[in-house]
Amino acid sequence: MSFEMWAEKYRPKNLDDMVNQREIVERLKSFVKSRNVPHCIFAGPPGTGKTTAALCLARDLYREAYREHLMELNASDERGIDVVRETVKTFARVKSIGEIPFKIMILDEADNMTSDAQQALRRTMERYTETCRFIMCANYSGKIIEPIQSRCAPFRFTYLPREEHDHYLKEIATKEKVKLTSEGLDAVFEVCGGDLRRAINTLQSAASLGKPVDSKVVYSVTGKASPADVQKMLKVAMDGDFVEARKQLREMIQKYGLAGSDIIRQIHTEIFRGDVPEKWKIKLADIVGEVDYRLVEGADEEVQLSALLAKLVEAGYAMKTGK
Amino acid sequence: MYSAWTAKYKPKCLAEVVGNTEAIKQFTDWIKSWERGAPKKRCVFLWGPPGIGKTVSTEVAANDLRMEFVEKNASDYRTEDAVNRFAGLASQYGSLFGGKRIILLDELDGLTGTADRGGVKAITDIAKTAQFPIVLIANNAYDPRFTNLRNYCLLIEFKKPAVGDVAKRLKQICEKEAIQADEDALKFIAQRSTGDIRSAVNDLQALGQGKKKLTYEDVSWLGYRDRQDTIFNVLRMIFYAKTVSSAKQAMNMSDADPDMLFEWIYENVPAHFTDPHDLANAMDALAMADVYRGRIRHTRDWSLMRYVVDYMTAGIAMARQSTKTSGWTPFKFPTRIMMLSRSRADRAIRRSIGNKIKRRCHISAVRASKEFLPFLRIIFKNNSEMAAGIAKWLDLDREMVEYVCESEG
Repeated sequence: MSFEMWAEKYRPKNLDDMVNQREIVERLKSFVKSRNVPHCIFAGPPGTGKTTAALCLARDLYREAYREHLMELNASDERGIDVVRETVKTFARVKSIGEIPFKIMILDEADNMTSDAQQALRRTMERYTETCRFIMCANYSGKIIEPIQSRCAPFRFTYLPREEHDHYLKEIATKEKVKLTSEGLDAVFEVCGGDLRRAINTLQSAASLGKPVDSKVVYSVTGKASPADVQKMLKVAMDGDFVEARKQLREMIQKYGLAGSDIIRQIHTEIFRGDVPEKWKIKLADIVGEVDYRLVEGADEEVQLSALLAKLVEAGYAMKTGK
Repeated sequence: MYSAWTAKYKPKCLAEVVGNTEAIKQFTDWIKSWERGAPKKRCVFLWGPPGIGKTVSTEVAANDLRMEFVEKNASDYRTEDAVNRFAGLASQYGSLFGGKRIILLDELDGLTGTADRGGVKAITDIAKTAQFPIVLIANNAYDPRFTNLRNYCLLIEFKKPAVGDVAKRLKQICEKEAIQADEDALKFIAQRSTGDIRSAVNDLQALGQGKKKLTYEDVSWLGYRDRQDTIFNVLRMIFYAKTVSSAKQAMNMSDADPDMLFEWIYENVPAHFTDPHDLANAMDALAMADVYRGRIRHTRDWSLMRYVVDYMTAGIAMARQSTKTSGWTPFKFPTRIMMLSRSRADRAIRRSIGNKIKRRCHISAVRASKEFLPFLRIIFKNNSEMAAGIAKWLDLDREMVEYVCESEG
């Protein structure tokens, strides 16, 4: 077993190594062949190869010299307008020397850019098209402003289908000499749902136990890796223990740094799935929607969500007493 | 030997007074103008919030200008007779040694209607004819009782000094006491004192005396050190109020910071509203108070505060429909605040680990700490060989490794 993060170690280096997102990869290869790349948006869920595809494209295009022609910026960390005005612009406007006259800028997690920054970016993209091509990676293309979308070729990444997921994991297991049972593989896919980064991380941490990776090991690992057990919290609330539910909520937010918006999305799903009384479902959905809106407005996440938990306590009580 | 720092570090001359430079200049100019005979206004009225240096400015002005200093404050009786005896004598005749004299009547807000009957009128009479500079001090010069008196006075407003100025003064004191203090910590004390430099110095002494270092952690407790008793009373009044107006009154009774009170209510609502409907309604009211806090932040319109207060007090009180007031339920200190100061450090280290992962794994620091950290925890717990390899590969320092190993997951 090797001692680095496998998710990085086994990241494909060239477009040829990528077995998933075939149609996209083919189109990217044609860009390499023609030595020309348009501005692109790579949109899709996490762990589906957006950043990898962008990096592979750059590598294939520039070969060994790719580092000099490539810049990676992560909008979640550097999302302000100043970054666009300074870092991005400085990189974009300097002409590159070499066979290919433009450089590539990867803007990762671009849906986290402020709209001001996006507005500023739009001019830069236009003005320096000759010297720099942008690849914007995002989970939701909808969060990219229209004018930028219209300047970019869109690529839609999807979760890995089962065969491709299995292909990658089996190969890694073989190379790392890890015994991965077929139930183990099933479990990984069930838990990670085609998010390859998460799948590889799961495999590695399961392998770290030093046992064959079967479904039991996978579930024990993923159980620990997702402290954000929204379902459990909701059940505690419905059973009437508000204080405990609030404590779990607090840990999710403060200790594990979960975003309120993530929690609320899960709550919304759970409400329609769980054993919530029928007549409460739509009522609660309305409350969830209101809380969601308040969070967008910048209200206190814990206060708003715990008010929601209190409503669930009420619903649970009504269910029990038949009121 | 123990001595109060407010006394020990009291300004010795005007230059040492924090802030209010313009007011002090106006004040000394006025005193100096007496050298050319009695000015048009023979009284000066210094006013402003407590603890910002009105009294001390007068004292040190007398000292700087080598004048005799005569003072009377709220602890003395101030009926018409008493004021006349004191100020009359002091102002009409020459001073004991033939020198100049400055007369201070402090804490005029303390004049009460009955016991100090006629006091304001007597002061007004003296203000018209004084032969020496007379200094009046009050928190609010625009109290209706002073309407007539104001006509004979030069009004000088003292304002709260800036947080930075207060912090600077605290720093000087720390240097003299050989305390190494974080800028953050001093700024926090200064901010909390809202310009009341006397209370800031008191707080500094309470927290820092005898220490070599003063960190932010040390002082962050300050906010709720002293006022627990009053908070308990306010909470009880709000939680068990029968009417809207009595619940709202509870808020007026206390000078508790609304945000702090909010945290106390938020912590204690579940224990005091046990009926599910009542609990849901009380939490709903709090959530609405929070919405209005957000609106204040957005609009910077503090007049919206009244709605925050409505929800926090009346909204909570009226949520009680079925929960009985059974026995005595103690109030708990807000857990969230305790966790918050603890998780500050946690967040910082998570962030720095995230940055290390970012450098290697093409992912933002924010997402890295969410997507990688939980798995790293498992690996570090189970496989020290792999853990060591990864730690080296990511270039984690000792502190980071310890964090990954120790934190639960």
